[in-house]
Amino acid sequence: MALADVEVLVPGSPEEAVSAFGDGRDVLVVAGGTIVMPELSAGRLRPRRAMLLGRAGLAFVVRSDGTVTIGAATPVAALEDGDEPLATAARHLADGEVRAQATLGGNLCAPPWPETPTGDLQAPLLVLEARVRSAGADGERTEPLETFLGQSRDRLLLDVSYDDVPRRTGYAASWRPHAVHRTILAVAAAEREGELRVAATGLAPRAVRLRAVEQSRDPADALVGVDPSDDALASGWYRARQLPGLLEQALAAVAEGAA
Amino acid sequence: MRLTVDGVEHELARPGLATLLHVLREELAVTGPKAGCQQGSCGACTVLVDGAPRRSCLLPAAALDGAEVATVEGLGAAEHLSPLQAAFLEHHGFQCGFCTPGFLVAAHALLERSPAPSRREIEAALGGHTCRCTGYLGIVEAVEAAAEAGGAAR
Amino acid sequence: MRVVGASLPRYDGVAHVTGRSRFVDDVRVPRMLWAKALRSPLHHATLTRLDTSKAAGMKGVHAIVTWQDVPRLVYGPLSGRGVPGDEPLLAKGEVRYEGEPIALVAAEDEATAAEAVEAIDVEYQELPALFDLRLAADPGAPVIHEWGNWYPHFEAEMDVRRIRRGDIAWAFDRADTIVAGVYRPGAVEHAPLEPQVALAVPEADGRLTIHSCTQSLDFSMSVVAAHLELPLNRIRFVGGTVGGGFGGKVDTAADTICALAAIKASRPVKWRWTREEEFLCSSTRAAWHMEIADAVTRDGWILGRRMLTLHDSGAYTRVSPYGVTKHSFHHTGAYTIPNLHFDAYIVYTNRSPTTSMRGYGATSVSFATELHLSRIAEVLGLDPFELRLKNANRVGDTSPNGIAYTDPSTVPTILEIARAIGHELPAEYRAMTAEPRSGDLLPEHLVEQLGVVRR
Repeated sequence: MALADVEVLVPGSPEEAVSAFGDGRDVLVVAGGTIVMPELSAGRLRPRRAMLLGRAGLAFVVRSDGTVTIGAATPVAALEDGDEPLATAARHLADGEVRAQATLGGNLCAPPWPETPTGDLQAPLLVLEARVRSAGADGERTEPLETFLGQSRDRLLLDVSYDDVPRRTGYAASWRPHAVHRTILAVAAAEREGELRVAATGLAPRAVRLRAVEQSRDPADALVGVDPSDDALASGWYRARQLPGLLEQALAAVAEGAA
Repeated sequence: MRLTVDGVEHELARPGLATLLHVLREELAVTGPKAGCQQGSCGACTVLVDGAPRRSCLLPAAALDGAEVATVEGLGAAEHLSPLQAAFLEHHGFQCGFCTPGFLVAAHALLERSPAPSRREIEAALGGHTCRCTGYLGIVEAVEAAAEAGGAAR
Repeated sequence: MRVVGASLPRYDGVAHVTGRSRFVDDVRVPRMLWAKALRSPLHHATLTRLDTSKAAGMKGVHAIVTWQDVPRLVYGPLSGRGVPGDEPLLAKGEVRYEGEPIALVAAEDEATAAEAVEAIDVEYQELPALFDLRLAADPGAPVIHEWGNWYPHFEAEMDVRRIRRGDIAWAFDRADTIVAGVYRPGAVEHAPLEPQVALAVPEADGRLTIHSCTQSLDFSMSVVAAHLELPLNRIRFVGGTVGGGFGGKVDTAADTICALAAIKASRPVKWRWTREEEFLCSSTRAAWHMEIADAVTRDGWILGRRMLTLHDSGAYTRVSPYGVTKHSFHHTGAYTIPNLHFDAYIVYTNRSPTTSMRGYGATSVSFATELHLSRIAEVLGLDPFELRLKNANRVGDTSPNGIAYTDPSTVPTILEIARAIGHELPAEYRAMTAEPRSGDLLPEHLVEQLGVVRR
C-alpha cells in the first residue's frame, strides 16, 4: 500500500485528537514528522491510518499558577529561549529547519536508543521533574515523565508540565559533529531547594536518572546502575569514559548557580 | 487539498501520508528539490513553506492544505537570475549541483530575515545542509557576496 | 586564443543555480515502472531456494529478473584487458556480501515493488563470514571464492603484485636502523548527495536508452552491452549530470540490472537506491593493510624498503587489480628508494566490493609513506623536512615501475611549505632543487646505487 493510500485524520482540537486516537492500536500519530516520516518513506512503518497533530491545538507554552505547561505539538524551536536545561538541549537538536518542525511530544516518544534520533529532551525534563498528561485506552492520566518513559507505547501525549520555580541547572553534552547534530551523550542537572536531579541521554534506551550521583554528587558514581552499549555514533567504552567528565561540567554549572 | 507552488495554485487529490517532496517531484513534476536521503539529514529537499525553510521529505503534504510553497525554481530563471543565484555562479558555490537547490532556498530565507548576516550566522543557518563536493567555503562566500549585492531580492 | 587561459562560466552553471539540471531521477517518461531489489540480508550464505513466481503474479508487478534472465551472467569490468570476472550480475547459488542483489522487481509503483520483493520466496543457508583481511590466509578462514581468498590473475597467473629492485639484503645489512610501521586506513564511503539511480527505456526502434549517473558513459555502455549481449549500436547512454561520484559511480551498479528489467517488462524502468542502500551496498574505497620496513642510515638516507600490502577487495574483484597496480607503482611516494622488495595481495572479505575513490590506490600509500617518513625522522632525531628533501625524487630518478621522472615536484613543494610556515632550513637544504643530485651531497654508497654522476 502506498503512502498515498493511508487514511489521514486531521483533528482540530485536543478532544478530537483523543477521540481519533482511541486505544492507539490502529492509528499512527504524526506530530512534527521528523522521526516518523523517514520510517514511512523507507517502508518500515506501514499504517492503515494516521493522525496529524499540527492543527489539534496542542502547540503552546503557558505559564500559569506556578506551573509551566507545554503542549505535545509545540515545535522544539519554541523551547530554545525557555527554561534551562531544556533550552540548551533544544538549541542543539538537529538543525534549524528540523527544530522548527520537530515537536516536544515526538521527542519524548522517540524510539528507544540505539535507534536514532534520540529523545534529547527527555533528560532535561526529567531533571525538571516534569509530569506528562496523556490519553489512551485507560482514559486520561497524569504521571511523572519517568513513569511515562518506562511504559508501553499506546499513549497519546497531550502536554508536559513542571513547577515554575527557580533552579540552578547544568547541561553538558558531546555531539557527533555532523551537519545535523546527533547527541552521543548528554547530562542534564537541576537543583531546587537543595534537591539535586541528574539525568543522562545515551546510556540506556530512554533517558535515565542517575540516582547514585544525585545522592553523592560525586561523578565517580556515574556508572552505578548503567552499562552503556555501542551504537553507530560511539561505543559503550567511549561513553563510559566520557560520562564522568560531562557530569563534572554539569554539576559545576549547578554549583555556580546558572539558572 | 490546495497547494500553491512557486506562485501556481494546484488542486490535489488527497495525498494520504505522501511527503511534500513526493507531491512536488512525482505529482507536480517540480524536480528542483532533490531526494538525497529521505530522512531530513542532508537538506537537498529544503523548500520554503509559508516563507520558512523546511525539509520537504519530512513534511506530510496533508498537513499543508492552503500553504504556499517556494522551491529553488521560484527564486529566479536563466533570463533573470537572483543576486543569490548569480553569486553562486560567480563564487563557485556548487560543483555537482545536487545539494544546490536546498542551499539556495535556505540561503534565500536567511537573507530575507537577516540581510547582512555574519559568517557565523550563515554557517548556523546552513549548518544542516550537506555538500560532498565543495568543502562549503565557496557556498559561504557566495552567500556573503549575495548579501552585499542585494540579498534576497528576486 | 579566446578560450585558453580565459575564465569561462560553467556550461551547466545556470541550470544548477536555477534548479533545472536534469539528474537521472528528474527524468520522467510515460508508462514508467519502478524497481526495488531483493538483497541478501546475510554476509555469506548459500541460496537454497529462490522462487519468484508468487511475487511475479502480484497485481501491479510487471517483471522480476534473476540470474536466469541474464544472457552473460559474469563479466568483469577488466574483462576487456583479459582479467576474468568473478561477480554475477545477480546472485546465483551464493551470496558473498550483505546487500548483494539477488532479484529486481519492476512494478507500477515503489510500494508495490517493495511488497513484491518481500513476497519472493528465498531461503539461505548461512556460512561463516570473513571480515578481517589479515585472517584471509589462515587455515580455518571462511573461503569466499573457489580459488581461495586472494586474487590469482596478475600477469603470468601470479597471485601477487610484485616489485623487486636492486639488492634489498645489502640495504638491510648496511642500514644503521630499520624503521617499521603498520598502516591501516579503513574503508571510506563515497556518500554522494545523489544516490545511485538508473532509468532504462526500451525504444520503439528496438534500441535501449539508459539514463545513467555513471562517471563514464562509454565504459558503462560496454558493460551493459557485454552482460546483455547486445551490440553497442543498440544502446544509447544519456548522462553526464552526476550528483557526485568521487570514483563510486564507475561500477555500473544500477544500469545493467535496470536495463534487464526494462527489456523483460517491455516498459521503461526507473531504479533508484535509497540512502540506506547507498551506505549498505554501494562500493566503497578499500580498506588497506600496509607493512613497511625501511632500512635507513643514521643521517637519514633510506637505502631500501620492504613492503607488504593487503588490499581489501570486498566480496568481488571489480577493478582492484588496477588500483593495486597503481599502488605498487607509487609505493615509495614522493621519494626515491634504490632497493625495493614489494608485494601486494588482493584479498577477499565478505564486505561490500570495493572500488576507486579519488586517487585510487595511490592515496593509501601516500598516507602510509608520509606517516612512515615522519616516523623515521622521529626515530633518528632528524628534521622531518630535511629527511624528505634528502630522499625526494629528482629528475632522472625512476618510479618503482621504472618510469623516469622528468619534472618531479617534491623538492620545490617541500621548500615552499617550509617557507610558508616559517620553518627554518639550513642553507644547503634551501638550495636544493629537483635537478639530479649533486655528488657532493650524496654518500658513496648511494652514488652507485642511484646511478648518479658526481659533479
